[in-house]
Amino acid sequence: MQDLDLPVEQPVTEGLNRRNFLLRAGALGLSAISFELLLSACNTPTPIPIATAAATATATPTPTASPSRATSTPLPTSTPRPTATPTPKQASLPTPDPELTKIGHLLRRAGFGASQADYDMFSAMGLSATVDYLLDYDFVDNSGLDSRLASLGLDLNRLGDLQQWWLLRMVYTKRPLQEKMVLFWHSLLTSSFRRTGQGPFMHTQNELFRAHALGKYDVLLKAVSRDPAMLIWLDSRSNNKRAPNENYSRELMELFTMGLGNYTEVDVRESARAFTGWGLQKREFIFRSGQHDYDDKRFLGQVGKFDGDDIVDIIIDHPATAEFICRKLFAFFGYDDPGSEVIAPLAEEFKSSGYSVKAVVRKILTSPEFYSARAYRTKIKSPTELVVGAFHSLAVETDGRAMRGLTDNMGQSLFAPPDVAGWEGGEAWINSSTLLERLNFFNKLTTSRNQSIQFDPSKLVFEEGISSPEAALDYLAFLLLDGSLPEEERRVLQLYLISLNDHFGAQHADEKLRSLAYLVMSSPEYQLA
Amino acid sequence: MSISRRQFLHSSLLVAPTFAFMPIVLKRAVAASTSESFGAQANMPGTLVVVQMKGGNDGLNTLVPYTDNRYYDLRGTLALPQSSVLPLDSEVGLHPAMAKMKEVWDGGHLAIVEGVGYPSPSFSHFESMDIWQSADPDSNFKEGWLGRYFEGLQVTQSEPFQGMAIGGKLPLSLRSSKVSVPTVQNIRNYQIKADSKFPDAAQDRVQAVLNLFAASPKDAPYSVLLDNTMDAAYRSSLALQAAHTRYQPGAVYPDTKLADALKLLAEAITNDLGVKVGHVSIGGFDTHATQPDRHAALLSELSEAMASFYLDLKVHGKDKEVVIMTWSEFGRRVTTNASDGTDHGTAGPMFFLGTSVKGGLYGERPSLSNLGDGNFRFTTDFRSVYATAFEQVLGVPSDAMLGRRYDTLPIIG
Repeated sequence: MQDLDLPVEQPVTEGLNRRNFLLRAGALGLSAISFELLLSACNTPTPIPIATAAATATATPTPTASPSRATSTPLPTSTPRPTATPTPKQASLPTPDPELTKIGHLLRRAGFGASQADYDMFSAMGLSATVDYLLDYDFVDNSGLDSRLASLGLDLNRLGDLQQWWLLRMVYTKRPLQEKMVLFWHSLLTSSFRRTGQGPFMHTQNELFRAHALGKYDVLLKAVSRDPAMLIWLDSRSNNKRAPNENYSRELMELFTMGLGNYTEVDVRESARAFTGWGLQKREFIFRSGQHDYDDKRFLGQVGKFDGDDIVDIIIDHPATAEFICRKLFAFFGYDDPGSEVIAPLAEEFKSSGYSVKAVVRKILTSPEFYSARAYRTKIKSPTELVVGAFHSLAVETDGRAMRGLTDNMGQSLFAPPDVAGWEGGEAWINSSTLLERLNFFNKLTTSRNQSIQFDPSKLVFEEGISSPEAALDYLAFLLLDGSLPEEERRVLQLYLISLNDHFGAQHADEKLRSLAYLVMSSPEYQLA
Repeated sequence: MSISRRQFLHSSLLVAPTFAFMPIVLKRAVAASTSESFGAQANMPGTLVVVQMKGGNDGLNTLVPYTDNRYYDLRGTLALPQSSVLPLDSEVGLHPAMAKMKEVWDGGHLAIVEGVGYPSPSFSHFESMDIWQSADPDSNFKEGWLGRYFEGLQVTQSEPFQGMAIGGKLPLSLRSSKVSVPTVQNIRNYQIKADSKFPDAAQDRVQAVLNLFAASPKDAPYSVLLDNTMDAAYRSSLALQAAHTRYQPGAVYPDTKLADALKLLAEAITNDLGVKVGHVSIGGFDTHATQPDRHAALLSELSEAMASFYLDLKVHGKDKEVVIMTWSEFGRRVTTNASDGTDHGTAGPMFFLGTSVKGGLYGERPSLSNLGDGNFRFTTDFRSVYATAFEQVLGVPSDAMLGRRYDTLPIIG
C-alpha cells in the first residue's frame, strides 16, 4: 500500500521534479522578480515583522504573531508554513509534513476542508486524536453554530432558507463529520422538496439524518421508512392493500440496502404488501390498520405476516446489505470501486457491531487504504464540498444569503436531488456548464467586497506574516491544495503575477491576492478532494 | 477576443524568455480521434434532437387504444375516456393534453414507433436508463450510443458544438472518453466572468485559467477530463454568447423548463454552430401515485415545447435539417395500483417529429391480451430505432456503433 506522501515525492513529469525546478528557477532569477513584486505589493498597513514570521517557520513553537488568534497549541516544527523571508533559498515550496497532509486529506473527506485554525488545532492534536474528535462529536460544543443560525430568522419550510441554513451549518459547524454524514444520507436515502412541496418535511428529514448520522443502520432505516418526506417522495402514504404501490419497496432494496441482483420482482411486490398502511396524517406518520395487508408474505426466502419493520430486519441481515452500505461508505470517504478485500473487513465490522455506521466509518478513517495514494486527491469534489470548503478554508464570513442556490447550477440542488438515486457524482460533476459555474463561483467569492461575503485576503496572508506574492502563492497552495500545486501550473501563476503589474502597477496588493486566490481555486487540482 | 492556448504560449515566450523550458509540458494531451472516421452523407437531415422523458412514461396513456375494451377493463380509473382522446385513426389516439402534437400529426410530420423495448427488461429506472443510453443491455459500453458517434466523427474536439446537451448534467448517451460535449444550463452564466472592478485584467486572468488546465500533469486523476472540458467550455462559451446576441426566436415558447431548453438548442442550431446532436430532458414521469393530473401536465409541457421548437426551426428554415426523437426508460404497468398511479412497466412508444419525417404509425402494437406478468411484450427493439436515427437522420452507418446490424424503419424521407 502506497502512503500519502508518495505523490509528493514523485517526479512531476519528464524527470523535472520540484527540487530541479527550484534550482533552475533560482538560476533564472525568478526570485529576484518576486522580490521586487513583493516589495511593491507590501503596502498594507500592519505587516508582521519578517523576523517573526521567519522564526515561526523554523523552530520556535509559538503560533504566528497574530493577536487575534487565541490558539495556544504550539505548531509542530515541521509545519509547512511558507516563509516570508525573501531570499532565493526561502522561495522554495513548503515541504509537506506527511501528518499534516493526512490531516488535510482527512478533513476534506470527513469534513469540508481545513482552515488555518483547523490546521493549528488538529496538527497539535495529531492525526489519531483528530479522527476521534471527528467521530465523537457528541462531546463537541456546537452552540456557536446554533446561535449564529438562530440570529438569521430563517423560515425552514422554504427551500432557499433551508439551503442557506444547511450550507451555513456545514461551513461553521464544529462537528464536520456529523454534517458530512447528513450529506451522505441525503444523497443515499433521498427525498426532494420538489415532491414534498413547501412545509417542514425536508427540514425534518435533515434533522433525522443528523440525529442518526453515525447510528445503527437498521434503526435509521425504520425511522426513514416512517419519515414524512420519504412517505411522500416514494408514495408509501398511498400504499394500500387493495393494490400495493411498489415504489418504496423497490428503492429500499435497489438503492438503500442491497442493490440489484439480490432480490426478485416477487420480493418487490411482497415487500410492498408489508408496507401497506404506512401513511401520513397531518404531516405525521400514521399506521392505518385498515389498509395494511396482514396476510403471509414470502420475502427473500422467509414466510411470515411481515410488516415494514420485519422487512428491514430481514434486509439488514442479508449479506448483500452489509457489503452494499460499506461499499457506499468507503466510496464516499475513500475512493471509487474499492476491491472486495477492502470491503470484506468493513462488512464484518458492520455485522459484529450490530450495524453500527460509526464503527464502519471509524474503521475506514483509520485504514491504510484511506491514506493511500489511491485515495489522495482522487475524487472530484461535489458542488457542496467545493462551495462549503472554499468558504471554510478561507475563513470567509457570510450570512449565507449568497449561498442559496449556489450549488444548484453546479449540479447539486440540495433538498432536490435529480431522482431517487441521488447525484451520480464522480466525473458526472464535471461538464462545460458546471465547470464554468465553478469558476464563476470562485470569482464571486474572491471579488466580493461587500458584507454578504467577507473575504479578506490581506488579513489572511498578513496574519501568516506573508509579504510577497510568491510567498502568498505558496501559502494559498498550502492552504487550498496541501502544497500540491504541480510545477507547471506554478509557473503559469508566476507568469500571471508578473503580468499583474501591467494592470495594477505596484499598487493593489489586495486585488493581486484576490486574483491569485481565484486562480489557485480554479486549478484542476482544487476540483479534487 | 479569444486567444488560443498555443498562441498564448508563443507570445509568452517572447515576453518571458526565462520560461523557455516550459512549453513542452503544455501540449494538449488528447488529440482528435483518427480511426473510424466518417462524414455525414448528403441529403440527410443531419441533426438529431433527443428528448428524454425521465421516470418511465406511461405509453399506454400517451398513445391510447381508445376503442379496445381491454384497455378500459385493465386500466380502470386511469383509463382516458374515449371522447377525450385525440384520434389518430380508428384504433389509437393521443392523450388529450397533446393537442399540439396532434396538429403536427395532421400536418404529416409526426411518426410514432409502437412497442419499443428490449428483451428481459429491467424494472429499475437506473439500469434501464443505462441500457437505453449505452444501447447495450449488458452494460459493457462506458460510452453512450451518441458518444460513440462523436468519437467517429472526423473533426471532434476542435469543433465544440457537434453535440450539445441542455441541463445540469451531461447524459450518459452523449458521453465518451475522447470528446467533451458542451452542456449548457444557463446562458447568462455560460462564460468566464471577470472581476467587475478590474475588467482590463480579465483577459490575462482567463488566459491563466486556460493555461492552468493545459499545464496540469495528464497522469493525474481526471486531468484529461478537466482539461478537455475546460477547452470545450471556453470555446463553446464564446460561440454561444455570440449566437445569443444574434438569435431572434421564430416562435413564442411557453414558460416551461423544457421549452427553455429547446429554445437554447434552437439558438445554437439556427446560428449554424454545427450541432449534430442535441439533448434535452423532462423529468417526473415516475407516476406511482396521483397520475392523471401529473401525467397530463407533463405531456402538455412536452407537446407544447416541441411544437414551439419545431415552429422556430421552420421560421429559420432549419426544419428539414432537424429530427426530434423522444424516449423513456420504460412504460408503466398496464393495471393501476391503489394510489391512482402505475408501477414500473416495459415497452412504450417513441415519437419522431420533423419536416423530413414521414408521419404515421410504425412497428407493431403490443398486445393487451398477451401480457407478461402484467406488462407489455416489446415488439420493436430500441436499437432498430437507433439504427434508423444513425442511418436516416445522421447519415452514418450504425453497425459498428450498435455492435451488430439492426433493421431500420422507413421513417425518414
